[in-house]
Amino acid sequence: MTNSGYTVHVENLTRMFGTFKAVDNVSFQVKPGEIFGFLGANGAGKTTTIRMLCGLLLPTSGKAIVAGYDVYKDTEAIKRHIGYMAQRFSLYEDLTVRENIEFYGGVYGLNRKQIKTKTAELLDYLKLWEHADKLTASLPLGWKQRMALSTALLHNPDLIFLDEPTSGVDPESRRNFWMLIYELSEQGKTIFVTTHFMDEAEYCHRLSIMRDGKIVELDKPQSLKQKYKADTMQDVFMKVVQKVEA
Amino acid sequence: MHRILYLIQKEFRQILRQRAYLGLIFIMPFLQIVVLGFAITTDVKNVPITIVDEDHSAMSRRLVDAFSVTQSFDFQGLSQSSNQAKEVMKRGLVKLILHIPPDFEKDLKNNVHPKVQAIVDGVDGNTAGIALAYVNQIAVKLQQEWYSEMGLHPEELLEVHLTEVETRMAYNAALESVNNIVPGILAVLLMAVTAFLTGMSIVREKEIGTLEQLMVTPIQNIELVLGKVVPMLVVAFLLFNVGMLGAGLIFGLWMKGNLFSLYLMLVFFCLSTLGLGIFASTIAKTQQQAMFIAWFFMVFAILLSGFFVPIENMPDFIQMITYLNPVRYFMVVIREIYLKGTEIQFLWKEGLAMLVFGLVTFISASLRFHKRLN
Repeated sequence: MTNSGYTVHVENLTRMFGTFKAVDNVSFQVKPGEIFGFLGANGAGKTTTIRMLCGLLLPTSGKAIVAGYDVYKDTEAIKRHIGYMAQRFSLYEDLTVRENIEFYGGVYGLNRKQIKTKTAELLDYLKLWEHADKLTASLPLGWKQRMALSTALLHNPDLIFLDEPTSGVDPESRRNFWMLIYELSEQGKTIFVTTHFMDEAEYCHRLSIMRDGKIVELDKPQSLKQKYKADTMQDVFMKVVQKVEA
Repeated sequence: MHRILYLIQKEFRQILRQRAYLGLIFIMPFLQIVVLGFAITTDVKNVPITIVDEDHSAMSRRLVDAFSVTQSFDFQGLSQSSNQAKEVMKRGLVKLILHIPPDFEKDLKNNVHPKVQAIVDGVDGNTAGIALAYVNQIAVKLQQEWYSEMGLHPEELLEVHLTEVETRMAYNAALESVNNIVPGILAVLLMAVTAFLTGMSIVREKEIGTLEQLMVTPIQNIELVLGKVVPMLVVAFLLFNVGMLGAGLIFGLWMKGNLFSLYLMLVFFCLSTLGLGIFASTIAKTQQQAMFIAWFFMVFAILLSGFFVPIENMPDFIQMITYLNPVRYFMVVIREIYLKGTEIQFLWKEGLAMLVFGLVTFISASLRFHKRLN
């Protein structure tokens, strides 16, 4: 276990796929309790980075310490301390809401009693009592997404990775989802989130903009707007991208 | 370890929720046994035959009679000459010509073995071989009757009798092939279910994204693998028993040996087929790919198992290859236990071979299965 005071500490992280540099020499730190955003177009390297940090993908070179553990050696320890939700759907549609919660609770090592308490808590919180014994497939997408996040947090991790959690969801549901993220942040949890929605980028405490595997900007949204003399993150993003291309 | 229980519970919930699975367990074995048990038969019936009788004696007429009453042959009448008979065969009206030479009776009485010629249409090699064996069988039987009528010494009779028994062992008439086919189908069913379903069920989770989610949980590889394999083994076990029940109810073919010996062998055998399923899932990105990979291996495994083609009939180097095929051993074991009630201590070599292959396949496949996405 390494302690640097940062929840995530990344230095010169690189990942090659054959001769293609998906992530190119990336360095950044995430402070405890922060909502840290990764903004970039599809294929910019966001998902590859997040997968390396979760222990799903081995880096080609560079250093990364997540929740105090090394991504090369201690991936199993990392997995006990993080929550992860991918853009792809992670619930079993042919199980009921209750069964999904029970299953993931069991997988995260909770005992029967803890699972029962957690299930009640979650059903209360998500207001899903009526649907508890319905197949997950029958829920609207926005509800599924919030439920997926909740099940990924059954073991109460301090660090949460969200890989484009709101893709394919309507604006109303996206707002609800971000309220959930803020609540988690207020509880002291660190949140690492990737997105390609500019409005969501505004919600982050700090933001890095990725392009072609590199981090081209990293600062608070407000500071970035000032720096680029822009009113919205959309403008900032366009200007950053143009600057890089020029 | 209690995580496994949650995985198994989840798997069963999903299985019970899919009607296709239930049909698979309870209907498929019945259907396969009924249809294939009747269809795949190596018994030969109603082979059209013509006979050229150049002897026209009492003895030769008895031979003709013997061929005209048996179910194996469909007697199309006598031909006047060898050439006429061949013409009839050319036109496809008969598949077998029996040529009784002149002096047949005389030779027989003088104890000179007369040569009866059988010409068989070899286009369908299997049928031809079996038809010829029947010809021999009928001839030998007649021969034996004559010898006893002529009052041979008991020792000599015994010898004749022995020759006949040997022919019978190899080509028994009646329902022999059903006996062989049904245990074979059970073995194939087991393989199909364990290899296909295991592979597909893992890859399905890859496709929908839940596997990625499981990979970021503290769950261990071995737990993930066992969580998939144990439910499939239970399904296969149920299906196997339903199949046995079917064989009993439909063909009256009940297992003669020890049930627990057979179950033990089943587990040894399924280790390799489950391993194959896991292996397929580590390569495949889609369920179709997993199916195709499993199918690729299964075709070889079944054809080189002795199910359809006796292993002794294969070229030497192919025979060597069959020693690497776990299905080969299980085919022996299941037929021995099922049909003959052979005790397990006589089958330990096959059992050991399956166990070794099973462990190697299963462990190496499980090692290939790891919690990274690469």
